[in-house]
Amino acid sequence: MNAAWPIVALGGLAFAFAAFSVVIAAFTGPKRFNRAKVAAYECGIEPTPQPIGGGRFPVKYYLVAMMFIIFDIELVFLYPWAVAFDQLGLFGFIAMMLFLINLIVPYLYEWRRGGLEWD
Amino acid sequence: MTPISVVDIDYVALAPVIIVLVAAVIGVLLEAFLPEAARRSGQLLLTGSAVALAFLTVLIVAASRPFGPIAGGSLMLDGPGLFLQGLILLTSGTAILIMADRRVDPGGDAFAGRVSTLPGGEEEREVSRRGLMQTEVWPLMLFCIGGLLLFVTSNDLLTLFIALEILSLPLYLLVGMARRRRLLSQEAALKYFLMGALASAILLFGSALAYAYAGTIEFAGIAERISERTTANTLVIAAVALILVGLLFKIGAVPFGQWVPDVYQGAPTPVTGFMAAAVKVAAVGALLRVLYVPFGGMRWEWEPVLWIVASLTMLIGSLVALAQSDIKRMLAYSSIANAGFILIGVAAADQVGLSSVLFYLLAYSVATLAAFGIVTMVRVPTGEATSLEQWAGIGRRSPLLATAFSLILLSFAGIPLTAGFIAKFGVFTAAITAGALPLVIVGIVASAIAAALYVRIIVRMYFTDPVSASAGVASPSPLTVAGVGLGVALTVILGVFPQPVLNLVEQTSIFVR
Amino acid sequence: MAASLPTAIPWTVLIVLVPLIGAVAVTFLRAPAQQRAARWTAFGASLLALLLAVILAIGFTPAGPGVQYLVSSPWLPALGVSLSFGVTGISLVMVLLTTVLAATVIAAEWRMPVPRGTTQGYLALLLSLEALVLGVFLARDLFVFYVLFEAMLLPVYFLIGRFGGSRRGFAAVKFLVYSLVGGLAMLAALIGLFVESKAAFGRPTFDMTALADMTMSTPTERLIWWGFFLAFAIKAPLVPLHTWLPDAAAESTPGTATMLIGVLDKVGVFGMLVILLPLLPNASVFYAPMVVVLALIGILYGAVLAIGQGDMKRLFAYTSVSHFGFIVLGVFVFTGIAMNGAIFYMVAHGLSTAGLFLVAGYLMSQRGSASISAYGGVSQRAPLLAGLFLVMALSTLALPGLAGFIGEFLVLLGAFQRSVVVGVIATTGIVLAAIYMLWLVQRVMVGPLQPGVDRVREVTVWQAAAVGPLVALLLLLGFFPQTVLSLVEPAAQTTLAGVPAGTAATPSLFGLTGGEQP
Repeated sequence: MNAAWPIVALGGLAFAFAAFSVVIAAFTGPKRFNRAKVAAYECGIEPTPQPIGGGRFPVKYYLVAMMFIIFDIELVFLYPWAVAFDQLGLFGFIAMMLFLINLIVPYLYEWRRGGLEWD
Repeated sequence: MTPISVVDIDYVALAPVIIVLVAAVIGVLLEAFLPEAARRSGQLLLTGSAVALAFLTVLIVAASRPFGPIAGGSLMLDGPGLFLQGLILLTSGTAILIMADRRVDPGGDAFAGRVSTLPGGEEEREVSRRGLMQTEVWPLMLFCIGGLLLFVTSNDLLTLFIALEILSLPLYLLVGMARRRRLLSQEAALKYFLMGALASAILLFGSALAYAYAGTIEFAGIAERISERTTANTLVIAAVALILVGLLFKIGAVPFGQWVPDVYQGAPTPVTGFMAAAVKVAAVGALLRVLYVPFGGMRWEWEPVLWIVASLTMLIGSLVALAQSDIKRMLAYSSIANAGFILIGVAAADQVGLSSVLFYLLAYSVATLAAFGIVTMVRVPTGEATSLEQWAGIGRRSPLLATAFSLILLSFAGIPLTAGFIAKFGVFTAAITAGALPLVIVGIVASAIAAALYVRIIVRMYFTDPVSASAGVASPSPLTVAGVGLGVALTVILGVFPQPVLNLVEQTSIFVR
Repeated sequence: MAASLPTAIPWTVLIVLVPLIGAVAVTFLRAPAQQRAARWTAFGASLLALLLAVILAIGFTPAGPGVQYLVSSPWLPALGVSLSFGVTGISLVMVLLTTVLAATVIAAEWRMPVPRGTTQGYLALLLSLEALVLGVFLARDLFVFYVLFEAMLLPVYFLIGRFGGSRRGFAAVKFLVYSLVGGLAMLAALIGLFVESKAAFGRPTFDMTALADMTMSTPTERLIWWGFFLAFAIKAPLVPLHTWLPDAAAESTPGTATMLIGVLDKVGVFGMLVILLPLLPNASVFYAPMVVVLALIGILYGAVLAIGQGDMKRLFAYTSVSHFGFIVLGVFVFTGIAMNGAIFYMVAHGLSTAGLFLVAGYLMSQRGSASISAYGGVSQRAPLLAGLFLVMALSTLALPGLAGFIGEFLVLLGAFQRSVVVGVIATTGIVLAAIYMLWLVQRVMVGPLQPGVDRVREVTVWQAAAVGPLVALLLLLGFFPQTVLSLVEPAAQTTLAGVPAGTAATPSLFGLTGGEQP
């Protein structure tokens, strides 16, 4: 049970911090609402191009978002490999390189076929 | 820290899968770097040679490698697996021949020039004016074939699931890519995707329950745990039920095959042929392995379920097929009915049953591919003549094509001297030996219904006078002729001289556990 | 009739191959200019087959072993199937009948009743049908029997569907669906026998001789019996499974109808004789009362319906239903005389029905109608045609001196030996036969000349020569029935010897019997 204590403590701290931030912001933060602030994915910048009819996004947005997620998520697999690099040895290295090559191939395809161009 | 032991992989035994998947990746690169004009020929060369090479490798592996687990126990090298791999490559190769044809359709091949264009829009017209073709079809096919090859040899539940996904995802795309009647095709793709995703999830859930029960995902381990049990266990029964649902979905058995007619109708016809042949072969192969190896000890639990499913599949498939007016839907229901006959052999649950199913798969898949190949050739100006009424009098205009189609229909009907007869005889015999007489009686009734169906089409082709909207027969390229010819020839050869293949399936029909 | 033939030549296979090769050859003579050559080729092939059949008959030893000139080679060892062909007394008679009728049909339809340009196809189908039927009669392997039994549907299907009358598509499908249902029932029975033989001998076999020695449990035997019986009863056809026949006969060409009723339907009875009785004797005895009752119903029902028909071809079809009732009755009363009679009757019926269809077909092609009411006084215009028709009709109603009489008489004699009641009911069939046949002759051939009949011309010399041999055979067999009976008798005796009739299993219907037990 002892081994689990730090994790529980970390979890508790994280939760406490999140709760504290939300609560304290409600009391102390300035309350100036405008259109940009209530828009989806609020980050201060107007979504481009403007959604037509109020709710639709251009399909290109999804395309880029999906590409990002696919290549981003794959990175997760690199971490355990990096941690266990010593034990996995050459076999692990080759396997990981194959994995990366398999990632690069669709990237090349996307690049060559114009998937990365906005217009 | 101790080094993690490296998995021992027999690369030669794995070669067929590696060849196909590497070729698929190269195919993607070709798409990226080849100029537009050279893509099609490059892809065809790559795809064709990869499948042919893989087929040769399967033969070499069968001749030279010892049977047993490969790739750290994730895959199993054994007789049925190799036979099914060979069969998948054979049928895929034939399907590729039919897919590659761009003579029967004046616009190009069976696929939309640019799938991303709006159906009926200006952009689409521009694409067809320029004669563009969507060559991504070929890498997609290769990925799918790679998944099929894995599917029939997978030796644990996780590999089974991954293989299922590898084969399914490209299929969802391929289904939606038809050149003609694109909305129907896209609707079919969406349906197939949604239902397929659900079925995959169910299969995965079943696998999780099986893991919860056995503490392992390996087939041998599960079999061991099941053999040790003394009482019925809800957990493992639920696991088998859910896994069965997932696999029966892919096979298209009633009541899990509701998607089959819509998808088969909407998909580009060569893809339909590929699905009805190679994908069904793989799905049945996986079902066989799952039922015989890990859950073989629960035969008494799953057998009654299979009896019911097989009976329903045969009867409903043949009955509803009778009411169809669209040739592709009719063939879809006929393929459902055939799945039912295959399940009779599966339900026999012994070596005789297994070998009869293997033979049935061979006979059925070559015939069904040829059937869909023929459908691509019978055309009206707007596309394929899918309405049965338009087939009136084809026998007089194109006797050769009508004869070929009749032969295939007769094989489906199980008339002697065709492969279909030997196949049906095999599964019925296996079932009676295993004590499944009622199932055989249902099978014979369903055969009679189905026979009426096939006879009706032959009548339409030969004895009905052509109507004004009747279809013509496009002159196909040598590719289609080769594909269809192979199917028809095998149908006859296997009907008259089945002995070598019967010997082969008898020798190969033992699963290594 | 007992010279033995050199066994180096596979006679039984040869006789099947000759029409088959003829069929293939005809398809190669496809050009319209080659129509004449195609006809001669087809006729030559059918004559050659007939010649071979006669040679086989000369070489056959009636007193010898049951199966002679057996040729066998393995086909599907895994299933215990071998391609074996041999001749028995019964099959020899059927082979002779088939070859005679095929040659007659091809000769009689020299001016083909089919559209221009399709003659070659028609001939090829007729010849392949002949080959397949001969194969069925000669097969000694049950699996091969089944395969050919099913395969012979296809030529008939196309013969009806392509060359028939206005409702040909319907008739062809009806025929095929009936036959396929029967075929599937037989397939089930075949699989049953396969499994049983595997259990009994340790390896599967379909050899008919071996299977005859196999014993089965009573329920199994009865189940298997039903499978075969359904197939044969549909083919024979036995009431109530006969409804495809009138449609098929009415919609097909005279030649097709001849082959259909004269030869193909005999396969059903042949199957009963060589499969039901030897292989499944106990079940056959058990179900005999049912079959006898169905046969009696068929005799009366067919005859009554024949009287009411207004279409000549349909009338002939219904008379055949009645006659098949007689034949099946002869098989299932289990007396030697009746069985001889039944086999003899098959020959006589085949010859006379062929004559009726061909002569009437000629008549119809002249007048352009199959309706009886369209005719009258034909004998004034075409006395020879009317005379030929009369001979066939008289044989059909069993006039002494013609072949039909011998068959019917023997069957009735055997039936009376078994049961007076059965005999009496069957005898009424003869009375009805006289009504429908004589009435038909009266309406069509005599009386005042109907409008349109004046177009009818006398049969040509060629046609008379084609149908003439049938008349000669009917007379010959009427006066010298021993020619056929001597071939059949030993085989019929062997068949009966295996049937435990008259033993404890004898059902109650036979309790009515007043005659001696054989």
